[in-house]
Amino acid sequence: MRIARYVLLLSLVTCTAGPAVAQNVPYERILHSQSEPQSWLTYGGSYSSQQFSRLKQIDKQNVSQLKVAWIYQPARPVANLESSPIVADGVMYITEPPSTVTALDVRTGLKLWSYSPPLPEHVVSIGLYATSRGVAILDDTVYIGTADSYLVALAAKNGAVRWRVHVADNAMGYAMTGPPLAVNGKIIVGSAGSEAAVRGFIDAYDAKTGKRLWRLWTTPRPGEPGAETWGIGAPESAGATTWNNGSYDPELNLVYWGTGNPAPDFNDERRPGDNLYTCSLLAVDPDTGTLKWYFQFSPHENHDWDSDEPAVLFNATIDGKPRKLVGFANRNGFYYVLDRTDGKFITGVPFVKETWAKGLDANGRPILNPDQQPTLGAGTLVYPSITGGVDWTSPSYSPDTGLFYVSVHETGAYFIKGTGNIEPGPPKGIVGGGGIRALAGEQSYGAIRALEVTTGKLRWQFKLLAPAWVPVLSTAGGLVFSGTDEGNFFALDADTGKPLWQFYMGHAARSNPVSYEIDGKQYIFETAGNAYLAFTLP
Amino acid sequence: MGPNIQGIPFRLGADVVKSTIKNGMGGGGMPAFAGQLDDAQIQQIVDYLLTLTRKDAGTVTGDAAKGKEVYASSGCSSCHIVAGKGSDAGPELTNVGGLRGPSYLRNAVLYPGTDLPQARVFLETGGLLDYLFIHVVTKDGHSFDGTRVTEDSFRIVIKDANGKFLSFQKADLRELKKEPGKSVMPSFRAKLSDPQVNDLVAYLASLKGAQ
Repeated sequence: MRIARYVLLLSLVTCTAGPAVAQNVPYERILHSQSEPQSWLTYGGSYSSQQFSRLKQIDKQNVSQLKVAWIYQPARPVANLESSPIVADGVMYITEPPSTVTALDVRTGLKLWSYSPPLPEHVVSIGLYATSRGVAILDDTVYIGTADSYLVALAAKNGAVRWRVHVADNAMGYAMTGPPLAVNGKIIVGSAGSEAAVRGFIDAYDAKTGKRLWRLWTTPRPGEPGAETWGIGAPESAGATTWNNGSYDPELNLVYWGTGNPAPDFNDERRPGDNLYTCSLLAVDPDTGTLKWYFQFSPHENHDWDSDEPAVLFNATIDGKPRKLVGFANRNGFYYVLDRTDGKFITGVPFVKETWAKGLDANGRPILNPDQQPTLGAGTLVYPSITGGVDWTSPSYSPDTGLFYVSVHETGAYFIKGTGNIEPGPPKGIVGGGGIRALAGEQSYGAIRALEVTTGKLRWQFKLLAPAWVPVLSTAGGLVFSGTDEGNFFALDADTGKPLWQFYMGHAARSNPVSYEIDGKQYIFETAGNAYLAFTLP
Repeated sequence: MGPNIQGIPFRLGADVVKSTIKNGMGGGGMPAFAGQLDDAQIQQIVDYLLTLTRKDAGTVTGDAAKGKEVYASSGCSSCHIVAGKGSDAGPELTNVGGLRGPSYLRNAVLYPGTDLPQARVFLETGGLLDYLFIHVVTKDGHSFDGTRVTEDSFRIVIKDANGKFLSFQKADLRELKKEPGKSVMPSFRAKLSDPQVNDLVAYLASLKGAQ
């Protein structure tokens, strides 16, 4: 096998232009990722998580000619493929669920190396599935959080293990599905597991050694700030897990990370109060792990509307003043604009049908409608459904159009209250304290919606047959790329929403579409089913 | 007289069902029950409907052997296959007795298209309806009717009454109409007597796999 690998590398070097595997991505390159649009160096394309590419070879005029350049399929079929790639210096780093990392040649899709961590025979995954949304890269190292909650550092050039540290106890329900965030010598990670009633956290590790530098717990213990929001009888605050990727503002030196639901989801009898810091956006000092500010979208949340979507950082002028802002299309159905220096609420409007709140008050706190909480028996019909107006899938912001693009779910569900017991110890099953019954497919649909980024006002929409679980990419070519649950990958006119191209991939899309350039050609990437696909012009 | 309402809150949503009970259907259809039933009572009806399942409901009252003759003489096999015999414009019925109860089968004979099963299940929703009646008009003015075979956000494939597959790009259509309640299958309400319907239902309910 080793000989075969050398032969492959040799052929890459001799048959293609440029270096195939020389890898060095220092922090400064990620900081200035906008100056190298040929690469894709973080989960959301930049620290701002804008899912925006400055490449424009593929544009409105020629996108209809887009063709498959290559397809990579893992040796063993994978499930729940939600992997977003990192692309640097001719190499693409993908994950293969549950926790394999593979390096591909970006020109051909041929595999350069692969690493699979040792996983226990039984990996606990409660309320989620064992997937991996991608890796982080820093200097000459690639980082992955595994399904059994280890953080592993791999040599970017060959996949050799540099270090492997235990992050949290998988037997208790902790599982890592989100990509790490690499910031100035630190690897910052979160974890899933709210449905197993674990306590959420954000961790930072030394990128060179794997030593844990700090941990920020996302729910308080008695005596800590916020403990009063769990009520006197609350046995253990649980939830607020941090199962997706964060964003980073280097000028403010703040990391922005979303948190999930309180536990149990649908039965709130033992957790009166706002339940800080569940369903919130946290602003954290990456040097110390100090919580600088928080904004709670859904206080005392009862519908499983996590707030784990990556926060989109952007700058805009409001009332004549330049502002540092964050845009967030929340699972609860409202689109929010916050000041990212202090977390102050600026505006919030529904971006899908919602029935649970009359609106938001001057501080952004929802004004609840009556009779919209989970009930015993047949349940209560509430919009949006359990998966919200949008779930974890990244939206996109184009500085060219000033529009915020999001793949929305237009559907409701009956929310049913059940028993809410949480017992300490390894989870014995989903302890959501209830459940939902979905509406029929004909009553639901999806859409790509373009919102004015500072107001949330709808500019256009492109309807989809079914609610999709697909992130969005916008490009300087004036295009918006996304996919469908039915298996289409498509491009829309970023100004009007008019469809310009579609390709049927044969299975639901799930991953971040990303764009990169090699040898003067722009590529667009997406996954479907068991396949990783790259598209380019003929 | 009315359609089969088993499972209807799942398909239409409880709010629609509650509103229908309260306000009726209009046009000489179901009367409005507002004034006779209060909201709590209407909710109790919806809760009850939610407990019904389609598959096992109803009892067989007819004679399956006679029903087989009704099946043959009514032309059913020109659109349906049983144990390899017949045509495939409609769904195969070889195992329909194992999938559907007598009440559902009776409704399908008398009111085709009013209680469609859900097929493709998306992650978030209860799935799309099988055999949904589709009417399309292309941009050049041609009309086609059929049942939906498959659909995505950009295309739709229907099967017409002759069993022919027709594939359309949605961008090429002037009109795409989805009509729950309609069917390419004719109703046998006026064609069969009550005993014949009972016998046909008994025959269909007896079909539980290839013999």
